[in-house]
Amino acid sequence: MKTITFDQIKTSSIALEFDEVIPDNIYTWTEQDFAKYEVPIGNSRFPITDYFDITVEGEAEGPGDVKMVLNGDLNRVKYIGCAMTNGEIICNGNVDLHVGAEMSGGHIKVYGNAAAHAGREMSGGILEITGNTKEFTGASYIGEWRGMTGGEIIVYGNAGKQCGECLTGGKIRVKGDCDILAGIHMTKGLIEIDGNVNRWPGGQMKNGNIVIHGKLGRLLEGFVFEGVVVDPTVEGEDFKGKFIKYTGDIGLNGKGSLYLGAETNREKLSEYGEIDDEYTSIREYRNL
Amino acid sequence: MEYILKNGIVYDPANGINGEKMDIMIKDDIIVDSVSSNAQVIDVTDKVVMPSGVDPHAHVAGPKLVVGRLYRPEDSRRGVTQKTNVLRSESGFSIPSCPATGYRYSRLGYGTVVEAAMPPLEAKHTHEEIATIPNIDVPALSLFGNNWFVMEYAKEKNVDDLAAFISTWLKLSKGYGVKIVNPCGSEAWGWGMNVHGVNDKAPYFDVTSKEVIQALAKANEKLGLPHSIHIHPNDLGHPGNTPTTLETFDAVKNIKKSAKASVRDQVMHICHLQFHAYGGNSWKDADSGAKEITDYINKNDHVTCDIGQVTLDETTTMTADAPMEYDLFKLSGLKWANKDIECETAAGIIPCIYAPKAPVSSLQWAIGLELFLRIEDLWKVCLTTDHPNAGPFIRYPRIMSWLMSSDRRQEMMDNEVHKWAHKRTGLPELDRCYDFYDIATISRAAPAKIHGFADRGALTPGYKADIAVYDINPNDIDPNRESAAIEEGFNVALYTIKDGQILVKDKEIVKVKESQNIWVNVKGYENEEQAVVDKIMPFFNQYYSVKWENYPVHDHYVSNPIRIDIER
Repeated sequence: MKTITFDQIKTSSIALEFDEVIPDNIYTWTEQDFAKYEVPIGNSRFPITDYFDITVEGEAEGPGDVKMVLNGDLNRVKYIGCAMTNGEIICNGNVDLHVGAEMSGGHIKVYGNAAAHAGREMSGGILEITGNTKEFTGASYIGEWRGMTGGEIIVYGNAGKQCGECLTGGKIRVKGDCDILAGIHMTKGLIEIDGNVNRWPGGQMKNGNIVIHGKLGRLLEGFVFEGVVVDPTVEGEDFKGKFIKYTGDIGLNGKGSLYLGAETNREKLSEYGEIDDEYTSIREYRNL
Repeated sequence: MEYILKNGIVYDPANGINGEKMDIMIKDDIIVDSVSSNAQVIDVTDKVVMPSGVDPHAHVAGPKLVVGRLYRPEDSRRGVTQKTNVLRSESGFSIPSCPATGYRYSRLGYGTVVEAAMPPLEAKHTHEEIATIPNIDVPALSLFGNNWFVMEYAKEKNVDDLAAFISTWLKLSKGYGVKIVNPCGSEAWGWGMNVHGVNDKAPYFDVTSKEVIQALAKANEKLGLPHSIHIHPNDLGHPGNTPTTLETFDAVKNIKKSAKASVRDQVMHICHLQFHAYGGNSWKDADSGAKEITDYINKNDHVTCDIGQVTLDETTTMTADAPMEYDLFKLSGLKWANKDIECETAAGIIPCIYAPKAPVSSLQWAIGLELFLRIEDLWKVCLTTDHPNAGPFIRYPRIMSWLMSSDRRQEMMDNEVHKWAHKRTGLPELDRCYDFYDIATISRAAPAKIHGFADRGALTPGYKADIAVYDINPNDIDPNRESAAIEEGFNVALYTIKDGQILVKDKEIVKVKESQNIWVNVKGYENEEQAVVDKIMPFFNQYYSVKWENYPVHDHYVSNPIRIDIER
């Protein structure tokens, strides 16, 4: 195992671009190699050692043997782990845009918050963020209609707007709350949100699954009430409890599934009939 | 500056030179018979030497390109390169940035690219964009097929005033020729409709597509423009559109070519013919109409074509045939942009994925190649992808390799494309292989002749020194078996020389020069033009949202023009 530690010594007002500094490219590098390397900043390049003290310990036969540890204020370091296929990256601090974007393997763990586009278009691997993420977590590139296609993103804090936009596969788990339009345009995959959701999850989704355990603010009109399901199995995973199931977005003939925790969203059921503790009246409504 | 390109193997169809080892001499910006002893010798021994490429139909500048780039940022992130000491940064795959467009054509050995659809109302913008595309000359064809004035003249069969109108509008828009797109159909789209076939009428204009085509062809020949009418017929992309295409050909069969247009032979150029050669009634039973179409072309001399070969890529379609784009949107469900150009035309844009394993894409791919291979006289056909509609122009080398190798085509039909390619087209029975002379014909000589260029597309002394040299030894390669090497060889020119300046050297761009717009100035119709303008002015003031004074492309928008004067 080769451990490469980046200890920040200086910040930059313009973001450093780290897409070249991934295990795939640097598993053979020594400290001398880093000393020669210039990192892109804006439209120029500067020595990476101006910004980080870099220490290299151990040997690696491939990117899978590499562990990168980044320490410091990484708010102006973007593309960390972009397009990596293997290896491990630990970020001890908040990170800038596009962390884990296009990654197809390996593991990134961010002890802090992530800016927008975390895990953009990733196709494999695991991205964990202990803090919050901003917009477009696991989403597509701007304009693109194919977002994350595989792998898993776990956000232990809250996720920003349009989390899982154009999700085409893979799983996103948000342990906290989620802002508007989670799963907009999604066609496949799973978004699981433990906390509350502001508004409009699944807008224009064509397929895929969204599971919301917390309270939902507003649902879009394009979702058809299907009934209450108990202990559903979604994407091969068992979810315990009662869930209100919707299908949508019918505006696009969508066949996606939206599961809302029934207990926390009990008032949503009232428009479909009188509710008792076992939700039998709702079942009757469905039977009609 | 003088140069000798020494010992190259030259393919120059316009002069009947087919693979002869010879020297090409350049003085300043033209090709000459001899140079002084001070001339710089460039050793191109056993390398392929051709005139620079001429792309007769591509969409490289104009408002729809900008809309395409704006709404497809995911395309712009492909092909990104950093700036160098010589080049600006590049971006984009199917809709490259303006500098990238020029650089990439230069790398391919091209020197002239015809922008195929310029709405006169948006001509200023088109010319501003042309000015930012380096290294190539860009004439632009002005759109007339759905222009309200044109439809009125066509209904009245008033060819004289229509000719004066065209003359005026070419001056106003700094256009090179007459482009017709889905005549009457794009206007119908303003009412949510389309026309089907050449005998359908535009709503509220009481004129048919056929009448518009005939009127424009007659006016074009009356003026004696260098290029014929350049038409994208009705029913593009619709299964069963072959009869419409044949009727379009027939519509101008009896119109006589102007004697002033001495370079070209045709009275109609039909673009992206592949999209107009479908049989069947729906996509379920669609098949190839290539045989019927090429039988017609082989028997008649008044029609030429370019193919619009599908390259099996993800690309961006953009056309003034807005109703067709809506149809495509309904088929694919991908994002769609639509635009109306008041009183003149419309436009639509949608991404398109020509997947090799998709039945329709494979069918289109095979029909395009079938057309190339069935046309006997290659002076009637040009290499295009209708960039970016059927694929980006950077795929020209790949198409050349397909045309030069029946083995490669068979391999693709066996392993790479959907079975519709060999079950529903005549491609499997065609074992014709183009040679280098044929490639030079369809990519240089024929497009130059068809567009009426009298200064390029050949290595004739006195012509512009637009020359491409490729790192291919034709005596040492079997194109049928080595299609990958052919593609690689044509991908980047060893040398690209434009106006006597070496722009690409050893496969690297070493110099960037300003592009030039080519436009046609018809002389001798000044009185008729003024009469036409006086007559239409009330209508113009009523229906256009711009003022007349702001409508023309003023000279400062066209910084470095080549003006072709046509005498009455």
